[in-house]
Amino acid sequence: MEKFSYVNATSLKQVTSLLSDSGWGEIMMIAGGTDLLAELKEYIETPKTLINLKTLPGMDSISADASGLKIGALTTVAEIAMHPTIQHHYTVLAQAAASVATPQIRNVGTLGGNLCQRPRCWYYRDETVSCLKKGGDLCYAVEGLSKYHAIFGGDPVYIVHPSDIAPALIALNASIKIVGPEGEKTIKVEEFFTLPAANPFRENVLEPNEIVVEVHVPKPNPNTKSLYLKAREKGAPDFALASVAGVFEVMGRTCQAASIVLGGVAPAPWRSTDAETALTGKMINDSVSAKAGEEAVKNAQPLNDNEYKVTLTQNLISRAAMMAVSK
Amino acid sequence: MAKHPVSLKVNGDEHDLLIEPRKTLLAVLRDTIGLTGTKEGCSTGDCGACTVIVDGKAVTSCMVLGVTASGKEITTIEGLASDGELHPIQQAFIDTGGYQCGFCTPGFIMASKALVDENPDRTEEEFRFALGGNICRCTGYTKILEAVLQAAEEIRTNS
Amino acid sequence: MSEKKEYKVIGTRPIRHDGVDKVTGRAIYGADFQITGLLHGRVLRSPHAHARIVSIDTSRAEAHPGVKGVVTAEDLPAAEDKMADLGEGAVSLKYLCDNILASDKALYKGHAIAAVAATSPHIAEEACELIDVEYEVLPPVLEVRQAMESDAPILHENLRTSSLGETGDKPSNIASHFQHKKGDIDKGFDEADVIIEREFVTGTVHQGYIEPHNATALYNPDGQLTVWCSTQGAFTVREQLAEILQYPISKIKVVPLEIGGGFGGKINVYVKPVAALLAKKTGKPVKVLMNRADVFEGTGPTPASYITIKMGATNDGKITAAQTSLVFEAGAYPGSPVGAGAMCVFAPYNIENVVIDGYDVVVNKPKTAPYRAPGATNAAFGTETVVDELAEKLNIDPLEIRLMNGAKEGDRRADGPVYPRIGFIETLEAAKEHPHYASPNGKKYHGRGIASGFWFNIGLESSVTINVNPDGTVNLVEGSTDIGGTRASIAMQAAEVLGIPAESVNPTVVDTNSIGYTAVTGGSRTTYATGYAAYEAAQDVVQQMKARAAKLWDVDEDNVQFADGEFSSINGKEEQISFRDLSARLGETGGPVIGRATMNPAGAGGAFATHVVDVEVDVDTGKVEILRYTATQDAGKAIHPSYVEGQIQGGVVQGIGWALNEEYIYNDEGEMTNASFLDYRMPTCLDLPMIDAVIVEVPNPGHPYGVRGVGEVPIVPPPAAIANAIYDAVGIRMTELPMSPDRLLKAMGKI
Repeated sequence: MEKFSYVNATSLKQVTSLLSDSGWGEIMMIAGGTDLLAELKEYIETPKTLINLKTLPGMDSISADASGLKIGALTTVAEIAMHPTIQHHYTVLAQAAASVATPQIRNVGTLGGNLCQRPRCWYYRDETVSCLKKGGDLCYAVEGLSKYHAIFGGDPVYIVHPSDIAPALIALNASIKIVGPEGEKTIKVEEFFTLPAANPFRENVLEPNEIVVEVHVPKPNPNTKSLYLKAREKGAPDFALASVAGVFEVMGRTCQAASIVLGGVAPAPWRSTDAETALTGKMINDSVSAKAGEEAVKNAQPLNDNEYKVTLTQNLISRAAMMAVSK
Repeated sequence: MAKHPVSLKVNGDEHDLLIEPRKTLLAVLRDTIGLTGTKEGCSTGDCGACTVIVDGKAVTSCMVLGVTASGKEITTIEGLASDGELHPIQQAFIDTGGYQCGFCTPGFIMASKALVDENPDRTEEEFRFALGGNICRCTGYTKILEAVLQAAEEIRTNS
Repeated sequence: MSEKKEYKVIGTRPIRHDGVDKVTGRAIYGADFQITGLLHGRVLRSPHAHARIVSIDTSRAEAHPGVKGVVTAEDLPAAEDKMADLGEGAVSLKYLCDNILASDKALYKGHAIAAVAATSPHIAEEACELIDVEYEVLPPVLEVRQAMESDAPILHENLRTSSLGETGDKPSNIASHFQHKKGDIDKGFDEADVIIEREFVTGTVHQGYIEPHNATALYNPDGQLTVWCSTQGAFTVREQLAEILQYPISKIKVVPLEIGGGFGGKINVYVKPVAALLAKKTGKPVKVLMNRADVFEGTGPTPASYITIKMGATNDGKITAAQTSLVFEAGAYPGSPVGAGAMCVFAPYNIENVVIDGYDVVVNKPKTAPYRAPGATNAAFGTETVVDELAEKLNIDPLEIRLMNGAKEGDRRADGPVYPRIGFIETLEAAKEHPHYASPNGKKYHGRGIASGFWFNIGLESSVTINVNPDGTVNLVEGSTDIGGTRASIAMQAAEVLGIPAESVNPTVVDTNSIGYTAVTGGSRTTYATGYAAYEAAQDVVQQMKARAAKLWDVDEDNVQFADGEFSSINGKEEQISFRDLSARLGETGGPVIGRATMNPAGAGGAFATHVVDVEVDVDTGKVEILRYTATQDAGKAIHPSYVEGQIQGGVVQGIGWALNEEYIYNDEGEMTNASFLDYRMPTCLDLPMIDAVIVEVPNPGHPYGVRGVGEVPIVPPPAAIANAIYDAVGIRMTELPMSPDRLLKAMGKI
């Protein structure tokens, strides 16, 4: 790890002002640090200064009312996973949070950090590799090893977004509050993430001097069933090979509305409108759910080693649909 | 770069330290304070050997900077036995043979303690979930789970 | 040894002597060691899998503030080309030295190139980045079949194939080829009604001990070198240091600290000689710690392999012939455990006609090291899958076909040895009688698999001394480092002889200056051989104390007997004194009593295991869940049953990881892409059920209590048992490890 200086944050104004003094990577923010520290240890990032956000007041709580949830960006992943209201009414979010990393990491890692975490691609995380994501010429996954890489939206960088929570929030139609030197703005979480075609170096729209402060989740309709399915190679800690965040409005076995967002398969959380269309208004049975899975992956573009992810994604979507209408 | 003043309460004792920002909490505990009971297995938060309890929560201390832990209350494996008496979890690990080489053991004990401190009424499944962040390569986990289940039962009985 | 003996201590479950230290954080492991004036070392490693080292410039690193010394291969004395015995295998010293610090070529990514000692670990790390190495990058070869091609990149220009007594005439990556033959293989296959021939591929896997390698070294001005470290064998470290550093053994003291797992991976030295070189250069004690990536990339994993198995059987189930080719990757230098694999491959079965070919092949990966029954797991994956297929073709229950062909006392293994009393059949019977085997197994996508395994176990040298204390306790001094409870299993054997409780024996593991030569804790030898030495040392104590009692009573020594902790006089005066009371009177009868024994016992007795596993295959995701696991194993005599169970359970779970998830993933440049515990996936408790360990006891005639080594064989059956269970569940034969979700989806035709 390189040396860096360290500042405790006192206010959002101070943070955004400090950040405005540099571009990416010179002054960085640390909250839980469970992703950033790994990057510092591997020399993937070598900031001159770290700003500790954990000293900012009032950004680490969850409030729930009739309109929905407000979750501070410094709220830990564990608190989201264990929150009774979230478990009950926003099940997909609680399940996604509970599937993150390990209990110890969940106790430290924050919501903001989970949304802003960097890719886990083994080329990106290799100090000696200068890949496209880090300003080089090539995405090495295209010709190289691509077992854990994208099957959707990759061109030209085939990383997958590692967040479990992001697909759940997007499926729940959540918004995100961002503060910058010019003040605050709120956008849909779905619009927060970007694909490499738009910006190969970043995974979201944040400017170097902006900071995520809060997430708003509207309360789902009472007939909503939501769930998060995550396929991984072992119980913990493991990132998704593929995951499905599904939010379904169901009446009996009929799906009135479906919101399906995939994790682990694209450089950003990936909404599957094809699957949503295939399910909406339908009585869900084996063939309808199977069809939804097929539709979802019909435009998948696997690389050399990750064709299995197509199968996996297809099957997880079918399974999620069937679970939505089961008791 | 400037060192930072850091105050930690470790196992009940106050430590006022001046530390380099890049030192992890694990390095502060082991090298600065000299509490070497907490182990470093992977440095990436994946094995759980460095688990300590920070403000009541199990945390992998290799993935926390010492400076960000300032003001926190920390319990390490050295803080468990009191007045010459082993904590029931420690005793259960000995009784059941819940460890072989013993290197992951402090981490397992601390992760288990954080769970039973919240509520000792725990199922095997809950323990498995809570210990999912700790790797043991010797035991195959069977006797570790026997140990924590036995300890939890004893804690329930005595409380 | 067939009659059941009554024991007071053996077979009980006292707590470990190091129990409190290990649950309170007080046990001192290698990285915990502190000494005044300590410097911190860090090793620079090759970023290339295969490269010629053109030049190394350390000047910028040496000038970095806080740096006290930098070493490269030039600081190593030039090694003679001779062989050294390192416990679980012999190795060329030239190769051994080059593996410590590369001299002319880097042969794998992670190969040590240079090392720095500095005032803090961070400074040492910074200084490594300031060492300028010029490489001429060469194409790597990573897979044994490719490495055997005539146009493959050559790792060692001077390596010639040694094949069946002949030496090749041109450079090759095939270090050696050997063969074992028994009977007439053609005749055997002619007699067979069914012949199955299959190919198997297994991945490179790591022992995965949680404690990284470490060493602290100090060169005193008087020339004394002391190394504190965690190791499976302090004496082996001393030998390797003496050879690598060309330094007299008498000037080296190795102090074994507590060890956080080894499984065969902490026999070879890596950072210990580096720490010594840095200590010599700086005149200060230097501690060198590996991080996890160093461990994966810079220490020996156990080999990937390519195996063909051909077996034939008659319609009534008799296996008439078995033939195999075992091709093991050695890593960067010759010396894979293919020899051990060849000893084990068909060992569970009495087959008249056998041919076994073994190949040791160098590739651009870290020099492989032993891992729990080294070579046997790879081999058994093939054999046990083919036996399962034979049983299926012949419509015979998989346990029955093993019972019909299982090896027994007097049968000869293909590589030569004739079995003494062994317990393979008993493990099969125990599996057959276990409720698991009778439980229902018919649910969709659920399957049950059986597999057996063998490990030969070893003896080797052990030394023990026992000092009698005046209160009737004894201090037992031993040289076997305790990785998993051997202080207890050794102490208990002395306690049994002396008629005192296990708690009255205080075992201590000491440094190389303080006990006779003791070989590594490995090969499942420690409870057997060091335990045997403890037994003999305790007998020596008894003998000496009989003389003291005789003196006390003024009778002839032959007239003193010892039983149940009491000395008594026979043939004359009726006298009696307890071990404890006599212990208090040693001073007046001639001074302290020290019992001692050194030995190299030959009758280790092989260990057999049979495993039953139930799995569920998620056909949507390709993930295999282990639902139930029962492992039966012949322990000979379980000294401490809990710790035998623990060895079985731990070995099984390592085998499950090997079967389902674990592998080194290399890119085309020869870089391991998953050198972390996140990406190298070892099982957690979320991936497993409770493992049911069933101890079978068929006493080993080569040990006074019948002990057989238990540590290694439990890792052997799991990959095959799980593959067989997957077949039972979904009808697919998996022949490549690991059987990860992507491979399973592909094999099921889902992709």
